[in-house]
Amino acid sequence: MRRRDFLTTVARAGAASAALAALPAWAQRIAAPAGATDLIERNDWPEHWETTVAALGRSWLTPNARFFVRSHFPVPAVDVAAWRLEVTGLVHRPLRLTLHELRAFAAVERAHTLECAGNGRARFALPRTSGTQWDLGAVGNARWGGVRLASVLERAGVKPEAKHVWFEAADHAPLPTVPPFLRSIPIDRAMDDVVLADRMNGAPLPKLHGAPLRAIVPGWFGMASAKWVTRVRLESAPSDNHFMVKGYRYAYPGEDAAQAAPVDEMKIKSIITRPLDGARLPHGVLRVEGFAWGGRAGVKQVELSDDAGRSWRPAALHGEPDGTGWRAWMAAVDVRTPGAVTLMARATDAAGAVQPVEARANAGGYGNNSIHRVTVHAG
Amino acid sequence: MPGSRPRTALALALLVTGAVAVGGATTHAPARPAHAAAPAVATRRAATAKQLPPGPGRELVERGCLACHSAMLITQQRKDSTGWEKTVQQMEKWGGGARPEERATLMDYLRRHFAAGAK
Repeated sequence: MRRRDFLTTVARAGAASAALAALPAWAQRIAAPAGATDLIERNDWPEHWETTVAALGRSWLTPNARFFVRSHFPVPAVDVAAWRLEVTGLVHRPLRLTLHELRAFAAVERAHTLECAGNGRARFALPRTSGTQWDLGAVGNARWGGVRLASVLERAGVKPEAKHVWFEAADHAPLPTVPPFLRSIPIDRAMDDVVLADRMNGAPLPKLHGAPLRAIVPGWFGMASAKWVTRVRLESAPSDNHFMVKGYRYAYPGEDAAQAAPVDEMKIKSIITRPLDGARLPHGVLRVEGFAWGGRAGVKQVELSDDAGRSWRPAALHGEPDGTGWRAWMAAVDVRTPGAVTLMARATDAAGAVQPVEARANAGGYGNNSIHRVTVHAG
Repeated sequence: MPGSRPRTALALALLVTGAVAVGGATTHAPARPAHAAAPAVATRRAATAKQLPPGPGRELVERGCLACHSAMLITQQRKDSTGWEKTVQQMEKWGGGARPEERATLMDYLRRHFAAGAK
């Protein structure tokens, strides 16, 4: 297994963090700085950038400079010296913490894959999928460093009637009449593995990714991991914000978004990063690689097909699970005769959920975990 | 009704700022690496605003949509008529969109250029 082809040279960024250095050798490597074609600009303002599949495939950790960006509003100006994290609402002891005070809590650093809920929206065949037309690359895997939200909440003392945690943030729309982006998560999630992160892949959290502090809700689609967080509010009810009540719902044709199931846990999914779609290769043994990820259940297996899904063979998973970070996988395919070959990768999670051939299209274009297929031409 | 909508003035102000800054900026928006020295936001926005096809209704999009959205977001949509209706209704609730007497023109423009099958 030639991992050096799969993961490129050791990055200087990796040396910045002892925790990163402690990763297994195959996963330590972070690819060289992003190249000019590693990101596709889907929207210039606010920034919506996705990573190319080729760039994703270069390393298990997605470098900060080529990690996808999705913001609802422009990056806010934050005065870090004056910045405080407030913990308010249904708590016994409201808090107002500086970054320094926050960093005094026990540090955590784990890998978590973030995927935009709209990733793959452009691949849904439906005339009314509203929003940025993401292809495959609104996803990335990073080591997120910070403190457990639970540690902070324990210090504040959560009242029994507190059932939801609201994340207020510094970003806002240019028009004051537009509601803020104000997501909430249930208290049981907040007290579990949610991170208040100020570091990303061993480096200070970049502004585009929410500096000085963002939430990371492992296993959930990216919208739950609020950026530029300034206040954590304990409430008895979920947020009634537009982006909770109407946005981010699986509304199938004819359904009312407000009555539809909410978008939360990521769906089991895999992507083929090598070879790339349309590649021309010599026939013979072909190494196929990619990543698989999903919700907190974890990836159980990845299978590969080279005959349009009639037969499947297991792919090998690299290493051990780290947080909800994606699993790198690899399989070999023997292409004996020249011609077009279509490869398909299918992931299954530990709860038994399997990727569908075609995910069901919904008006918001959310959660497209259709099986990824690439066609290569063997010469 | 018009007096209750400050968005128009704000949108125009943003556009004017962008137009002043744009100079000879390209109308294309290629892939841009995150670490590259990005041009000023106003310059970029004015450049992508040029991607809006000419015709009746274009000015309404500039006034009613571009205060909050890049033209890039609009030009990549392929919504059917109901989709655009819902979107514009939502934006009107939030202070965007068009005045009642201009609404039909705005809707025609969006449907004509950014519907399924449109070029």
